Amino acid sequence: MKGSVEKGAGDYMLYVTRLLTGVLAILAFIPSFNPVRASKLVSDQVALFTSAVSYSSLTKESEFQLRSGIVDSTMFILINVAAIVLIIGILGMVAGACLSLGNINLKRLSLIISAIGGVVGAVGCVLVFVAKGHAAGLANGAGEANLPKSLLFYMISIIIILLISVICFFIMPGFDADEGFYMESTYKLFLMFLPFGVLAFLFCYLPLWGWRYAFFDYEVGGTIGMKNFVGFKWFGYLFKTKATRNDVFQTIINTLAMSSLGLIFSWLPMAFAIFLCEIKNLTFRRFVQTFTTVPNFISWVLVYALALSLFDTTGFINQLKVYMGIIKDASEEGTNYLMSTRFIWFKMWAWGTWKGIGWSAIIYIAGISGIDQQLYEAATVDGAGRFQKMWHVTLPGLLPTFFVLLLMSIAAILSNGLDQYLVFENARNANKLSVLDLYVYHLGLGSNGSIPLSTVVGMFKSIISVILLFGANSASKALRGESII
Amino acid sequence: MAKTAQEKLDAKREKAYYKKHKNMYRVTPGDVIFNIINYTVFTLFTITCIYPFYYLFINTISNNKEVSLGRVNFYPVGINIDNYLALRNVNDLGNAFIVTTTRTIIGTALMVLASAFVGYLVTKQEMWHRSLCYRFLVITMYFNAGLIPGYMNMVMLGLNNNYLVYIIPGIVAPYNIILVKTYIESIPAELEESAFIDGASHITVFRKIIWPLSKPILATIAIFGAVGHWNSFQDSLIYMSNNPKMLTLQHRLYVYLQQSSNLGTLASTGSVSASQMKDAVEKMMNTKVTQYTVSMMSVIPILVVYPFMNRYFEKGIMLGAVKG
Repeated sequence: MKGSVEKGAGDYMLYVTRLLTGVLAILAFIPSFNPVRASKLVSDQVALFTSAVSYSSLTKESEFQLRSGIVDSTMFILINVAAIVLIIGILGMVAGACLSLGNINLKRLSLIISAIGGVVGAVGCVLVFVAKGHAAGLANGAGEANLPKSLLFYMISIIIILLISVICFFIMPGFDADEGFYMESTYKLFLMFLPFGVLAFLFCYLPLWGWRYAFFDYEVGGTIGMKNFVGFKWFGYLFKTKATRNDVFQTIINTLAMSSLGLIFSWLPMAFAIFLCEIKNLTFRRFVQTFTTVPNFISWVLVYALALSLFDTTGFINQLKVYMGIIKDASEEGTNYLMSTRFIWFKMWAWGTWKGIGWSAIIYIAGISGIDQQLYEAATVDGAGRFQKMWHVTLPGLLPTFFVLLLMSIAAILSNGLDQYLVFENARNANKLSVLDLYVYHLGLGSNGSIPLSTVVGMFKSIISVILLFGANSASKALRGESII
Repeated sequence: MAKTAQEKLDAKREKAYYKKHKNMYRVTPGDVIFNIINYTVFTLFTITCIYPFYYLFINTISNNKEVSLGRVNFYPVGINIDNYLALRNVNDLGNAFIVTTTRTIIGTALMVLASAFVGYLVTKQEMWHRSLCYRFLVITMYFNAGLIPGYMNMVMLGLNNNYLVYIIPGIVAPYNIILVKTYIESIPAELEESAFIDGASHITVFRKIIWPLSKPILATIAIFGAVGHWNSFQDSLIYMSNNPKMLTLQHRLYVYLQQSSNLGTLASTGSVSASQMKDAVEKMMNTKVTQYTVSMMSVIPILVVYPFMNRYFEKGIMLGAVKG
């Protein structure tokens, strides 16, 4: 069934085709590499793919010029058509590259398809020149003609793909009528996986490319180039000025304090589970378990809405005070408990525990039902009381789970999350609630934010978190011989 | 709460066991005290979990005048549903509701389909560089480029201020893929093999064998995914800064809450006089009930669905304990 087992020069050349096609396909989604931006009137936030599918996004930034007649719509239509043609060409090349993984007949078919795609793509590139010529021909330079550098890359790639297709067509073995079209299932499976791999690449790996902002003097809407490369300036900047230094220290203290509170009380869910299992009435137990898990499934915004309704100036607690005659009018004398900064770290921990304890206890409850009943019987026979059984049988049975979860939370010590602190934050307590995630958010997207500075802080956080995770993992391996990730 | 047959059997056995060993389980005074304390603590804690929702609810269905006088604390007064009908007039709420509902449905459906399919693919030993592909996905769970690089990435991909940002990044969910993969590996391989011998393709095997057999795990991840989409707040906050029509329900609620909280800040810093404050508070009372009602609207779907899905939730956390 298989084609030639020996790999010829043609097969190696096909690697180049596949690689180039993949790069072209990914670049089609990246605005800074838009090859059809033949005029600067087209926004630099529009990618090749967007230019092809949406005419309105092409003209979004130049509606004024269009309406006043400075620019006619011909140029945009030309760009749009060029983009569509180029995308069709790329689709052809992608189809060709995928089929080239098949047997010799499929390979020959793939060469033809790739070549057609290449020709179509080349036509698209030529159309870009036409559009550029049209833009340059407009009076007073209103067209703002532009020859994108990425077009050169596209042209070279397409020419290489065309050349390889033609050469391979002649040096590869001929069409074999007996074989039919066939692809080994190993490649078929891979091709089915590929779209999802691309998605993972776009949203999980590509953001790492954004770390470069840490080394540039970048402002929103600006560009990145050698002229604003600043090296490690922002890393030093964090500690240079007094204001930022204080902010950073306060943030680190807040983060560590609240994480430590969580760590110190991380045994609570386990205790919750042990005591809950001491309740013999199954109906009551299920009732408690069901209702204490509900808060885990509502968002932090809703938790805050509940908090407002209970602890606001006119909230439940103050109304209760009025009801009992402690104060007269809630809206005048009521205390806004959410404004106070007393025990704020502890309060935040309490909200987190209220929300999560029922849920975290489930894993321990399952652990308890997994403990061998004979152990309890043996303990009873030996005269152990209720507490002795809890201490000497149940607890040791749960400790391995506890340690794994503890190590995980140590690894996540810098990640308190953003939502909780953002919703509870107000002018009074902002200083005490600023944890790393929130600090990064305000620093980057706040009113006078700095993208590079925020990226630096985020980078440190990410790197330290990964180190902590692997540290926790090797600790677990050394202590228990089991990996946690 | 319906007991399963197994639970009934367990309870029966437990009873018989205690009867048989009556002497060994004699109840001591210490036990009684412990039980009283135990039951009391759990009852109180359960009340703190239920009461806030109840309080919010009775305030939304009561007479607004009574609410503003602070008389609705334990039971509703003058029951009506005007507040819920008045939600029609709240700005942008309809939009937020549509955005959240559609993203929950579309996002969850695509995520489940993708997780099931990829979970199936990565169980196939003959796949080209299978373990490499699998690791490529799994590693993404352990690192994170950070908020700002992620934001700049979305800008670069043209997804900023775009509805698709709610859907596309969530399609490939590595954790769910691991869960599905582990589950599929527990399905007897003979089922697939016999289908392959009969000439079925991978797609057919996936559609006719894997998909029906892995429905329990798919239901579990679907429910988790749907709750996540329904509660989504952060992506709306970060990526929708210039597109207020596309905010999710939770983000919209957050905006409403902020408005009243700002008033609280003014009051506590003393930058407005007491009489001004009183006027503002009176105006606010209406807003407050609206907030309660919007909150209720966004939590009711979860509260309604929750009791039916409880067993899936529990199954979900247990599966999470199994490592890929």
